Amino acid sequence: MEMRAIKFTLNGKPCEAVVKPWRTLLEMLREDLYLTGPKEGCGEGECGSCTVIMGGKTVNSCLVLAVEADNQEILTIEGLSDGEHLHPIQAAFVNKSGMQCGFCTPGMIMSAKVLLEKTPRPSEAEIKEGIAGNFCRCTGYTKIIESIQAASETGKGGK
Amino acid sequence: MEEYSVIGKRIPRVDGRVKSTGEAKYAADLAMPGMLWCKILRSPYAHARILHIDTSRAERLPGVKAVCTGKDFKGWRWGWMPQTRDEAPLAVDKVRYLAEAVAAVAAVDEDTAEEATDLIKVEYEELPGVFDAEASMQAGAPQIHDYAKGNLSFEFHMDFGDVDKAFRESDLVHEDRFETGRVITGYLEPPAAVALWDSSGITIWAAKQSPYFVYRHLADCFKMPLNKVRVVQPFIGGGFGGTKNDSLAGDFCSVLFSKMTGKPVKFIYSMKEVLMTCRRRHNMIVYNKMGMKKDGTLTAMQSRVIADGGAYTAIGPLTMYLTGSLSTLPYKLPNFRHDAYRIFTNNPISAAMRGHGVTHTRFAAELQMEMMAEQLGIDPLEIRLKNAITAPHETINQVKVHSAGLVEGLKVLAETDNWKNRAGRRKVEGPWSRGVGISGTSYLSGARQRGHQSCAAVVRLCEDGTVDYLTGATDCGQGSDTVLVQIIAEELGLSVECIDIKRVDTATTPCDAGSYGSRVTVLAGEAAKKAAQDLKGQLAKVAAQGWQVAAEKIVFKDRRVFVQGSPEKAMSFDKLAKTACYSGSGAVMIGRGYSDYGLDAYDFEKGSGMPGTSFSFTSQLTDVDVDMETGFVKCKEMIIAHDCGTPLNPINVEAQNQGGAIQGMGQVMYEQFVMKRGQTMNPSLADYKMPLALDIPRIEVIDIITHDPAGPYGAKEASEGSHVSTPPSVAIAIHDATGIWFKEQPITPEKIALALQRKKEKV
Amino acid sequence: MVTFYRRLPRFDYVKPESLSEALGLLKGNKNGGIRVYAGGTDVIPRLKARLLPAPEVLMDLKGLTELNYVEYDKKQGLRIGALAAISSVESHGAVQARFAVLSQGSHSIASTQVRNRGTVVGNICSAVPSADAVPALLCLGATLLCVSPRGERIIDIEDFFAGPRKTILADDELLKEIRIPDMPKGGRGAYIKLSTRSRMELALVGVGAVVAVTDGVFRDVRIGLGAVAPTPMRASRAEEVLRGEKVGEQVIAEAGRLAAAASLPIDDHRASAEYRRLMVEVLVKRAIGQALKA
Repeated sequence: MEMRAIKFTLNGKPCEAVVKPWRTLLEMLREDLYLTGPKEGCGEGECGSCTVIMGGKTVNSCLVLAVEADNQEILTIEGLSDGEHLHPIQAAFVNKSGMQCGFCTPGMIMSAKVLLEKTPRPSEAEIKEGIAGNFCRCTGYTKIIESIQAASETGKGGK
Repeated sequence: MEEYSVIGKRIPRVDGRVKSTGEAKYAADLAMPGMLWCKILRSPYAHARILHIDTSRAERLPGVKAVCTGKDFKGWRWGWMPQTRDEAPLAVDKVRYLAEAVAAVAAVDEDTAEEATDLIKVEYEELPGVFDAEASMQAGAPQIHDYAKGNLSFEFHMDFGDVDKAFRESDLVHEDRFETGRVITGYLEPPAAVALWDSSGITIWAAKQSPYFVYRHLADCFKMPLNKVRVVQPFIGGGFGGTKNDSLAGDFCSVLFSKMTGKPVKFIYSMKEVLMTCRRRHNMIVYNKMGMKKDGTLTAMQSRVIADGGAYTAIGPLTMYLTGSLSTLPYKLPNFRHDAYRIFTNNPISAAMRGHGVTHTRFAAELQMEMMAEQLGIDPLEIRLKNAITAPHETINQVKVHSAGLVEGLKVLAETDNWKNRAGRRKVEGPWSRGVGISGTSYLSGARQRGHQSCAAVVRLCEDGTVDYLTGATDCGQGSDTVLVQIIAEELGLSVECIDIKRVDTATTPCDAGSYGSRVTVLAGEAAKKAAQDLKGQLAKVAAQGWQVAAEKIVFKDRRVFVQGSPEKAMSFDKLAKTACYSGSGAVMIGRGYSDYGLDAYDFEKGSGMPGTSFSFTSQLTDVDVDMETGFVKCKEMIIAHDCGTPLNPINVEAQNQGGAIQGMGQVMYEQFVMKRGQTMNPSLADYKMPLALDIPRIEVIDIITHDPAGPYGAKEASEGSHVSTPPSVAIAIHDATGIWFKEQPITPEKIALALQRKKEKV
Repeated sequence: MVTFYRRLPRFDYVKPESLSEALGLLKGNKNGGIRVYAGGTDVIPRLKARLLPAPEVLMDLKGLTELNYVEYDKKQGLRIGALAAISSVESHGAVQARFAVLSQGSHSIASTQVRNRGTVVGNICSAVPSADAVPALLCLGATLLCVSPRGERIIDIEDFFAGPRKTILADDELLKEIRIPDMPKGGRGAYIKLSTRSRMELALVGVGAVVAVTDGVFRDVRIGLGAVAPTPMRASRAEEVLRGEKVGEQVIAEAGRLAAAASLPIDDHRASAEYRRLMVEVLVKRAIGQALKA
């Protein structure tokens, strides 16, 4: 059971790692690379709190093996802000109080980003579809939807 | 109406930024060098004697550093009351529910720890189990705890007025059986902690809604003085009562392992583990009897509650108390009798959850009132208006209400199109039938339990005019940090950016009873206000001396300090801070405050007196479409007219009401643990069905302002009310759409479709 | 003993770069020594839960990039390669335009995140009775090209399932391609998934219907049912009663009743057999109605 060496792009920067075959992408991000933004809620792809963007698409990183990151472009919540400057979606969540406990927030924002890339001015129904795979227990979703709407109004939500 | 600078304003959450960037650290995000991983082994039986545990193979696995079993905790048990200390960190002689914790392993990584638990051999003698509360009360049922005859965990009785006479004199009396379901808090963050035992004592970074519970439990369990037990709060991924207000096997085992190995030890529960083993809401059968005059005036109510307590007591006695002590709200009730029984079963443990205790009996009473109104031909809104409490009011069990926005809330709902046009809308379109339902509820703020109930605050001035704030009250997502900072900012005339709230850390923050029973805004808020006023007073004295005026004339506003009526005598807050701190040989400016109830005595045994400081009132309208063939229910709209005194932060109050309502919607429509002889058949988020974004209605939250004298700036709790008001509102709406009363939660499409089918067949 | 695992069990990982390499590795594979996966959305959670025994080797098929395609032409119809993600199938122009029953069935699966990774072939190979892509494939008369070191064979979708979570694939065999003949002239379809909430659930009942109507008469009807039998099934008697009949409420209602009578649902923690059977009748009527309007 040999370790595997992998090379990938993480939040815009080249990255290397050596991983066990049975390690998940989520575990590698959190435990080896200390990016604890993506969370483990259910570990089985039901809650979306582990959502990251891989190859331009959202995936549940708890279901992706770390070795599969090889040659991929991966974006986590940590890669959205630019130093002090928040990404427009993050800023919208802050201004509209789109979070309460915040545990679902990183995954929710990643899903929102891909949604706004594809659909820059989504309807409420499209927003709900876009976050259908991201579970939240605290907010009742209303302010999450308002935050994504506000982000879409900046016109820069998908950047 | 007083104009405030910060209070009542739509201030974004102070922790919004760190949560949006992923910087906020939760317990599972923490790691320390040399850390070990703790894994728990659990019982495959719901009721069994533990005969023998052989950990030798596990101990020999390379990478395993320690193992422990129940015996290692030397007979220690904990519980909410001295006489209910029946729960052990790991089962000792018996397991009483399926997957109860039996042993644990500490290893160099979690892979190894999991492998090692598989190597622990436990010999059990399976015992007959009982899984239904009413069956468990019967003679001959398996005895679960030696100390509890007839498996009676706790009983609570109330008797006020003369219900028998009142029923005899009523024009209409109804008796019905209701049942609430098997649901759980549903926080997304599984419990986790990192524990360290070293020469400074015990330190644990744990996902706790109320850290001071585990603080006391650990001190007691490990015989440590309190000043050597340090509970540090990371961010918390949701609480909602229950588990994170208590301690778990993982907490005790990780601390023990750190003691044994000298290394930090971490554990994280899995979501399946949470859904199978963590505390749930009690499932309760409510036999409710209600009497009315023919004009709809309530004459009496009698409720008999049988609660499935699960395998251990936990906070159950408080739950049972709350099933009755607030039943005399939100309507005028002249006669009330209540008999509540918490029964042990071999099911997972039942404990507190949002809307604690009240949600079960309020569901029963609201539905029954609605049924009786229908029978008497009285409009559901009118009957509620007729019986609604108005302030000031004292109930028959000495609950004093100083503000009550129920009538105002109901009147707001009466004016909605949803309500006004309901008759015209009832015609069926395709398979859809529409229904609308109104409910009223009240919930307490500033809950009190026994023992230490005060909140305290320390406000420290830094020389540059910024402020540190220490409180023991925890924000588990409900937004209390923001509101408390707002209070301090308001008192000191600062903006929220000037105040930094420190993370709760029992080494430095003052002791606090905890974040439950909607007490934080009210009580921690009172403490914060007093602490800020204390600091303000000290600063005012310095300024007064400087300007040669009376201290009472000093005003703090907009980050400036000036003399009332003499605006030229002014300086920035920062300058005053510096002046004050550098006076003499240097002054340390600290403000302190604590909450005091100033309340009358309350009687936990009789169910009389004030169980909290004040009471919210919520009126809710829910509008549903029901597919009359499949039973699928679409909640279209919820209008929540709630009285929280005054919203200190309107966005937070809105958000909380929205969240509480959706959590309530899940409870009444989707969520249920399907149990088969103590086994949870659906321990996954796919099958324990909580609401998702596509399921939500449009929610409108309307603030009814009443200014309660007990809370800071007139505030009371928000959103335990909307969590309690939602299930009856939805159930009544479903009745409106289908013509059928569903008295058992959850009201699933299957129940609706089959009931409609049977109704069709009868015709 | 009960342990709640958070971690996957130990296994080795291999990612062949071609189909021939993959088949070479699978030669002689027995007892799940090698387990194949592509999207992982079913295999990974089951491995974590120890519902599948840990394989010696987990074989990642995503190196077989030549199998990642969704192709349509009028002659061959629709061909879906083993690696085509559900999201690429559901959003494919020809699938949306011509094979709506498959597009709708695919879209109803889980979440965007899952559909970005999971494959339609994987959905079939999971062989859960409620697999949402399958009723559509039953209606569309799909055939499956299966390959192994021993050769190729083509299997009708109706013969592919042996029971809940059991297919007829051998330990050394892969499902390489789904072949769907072009829709009959004027053919239209719809898929309805019954669940308690709006999304993220296994279907309590899944109904796919494809109809072709000429001059107000059902020329052809296919009805596929999921989650109401040990394997997904065609409601053949219901189809027969409609074929050659004028489109009308009564005959459609009769089809619904026959479909319900033919279904074999069970009681489980999600729903009762009684409810499921009742819903087959309701949803077959609705699916046909929706297909007619499509």
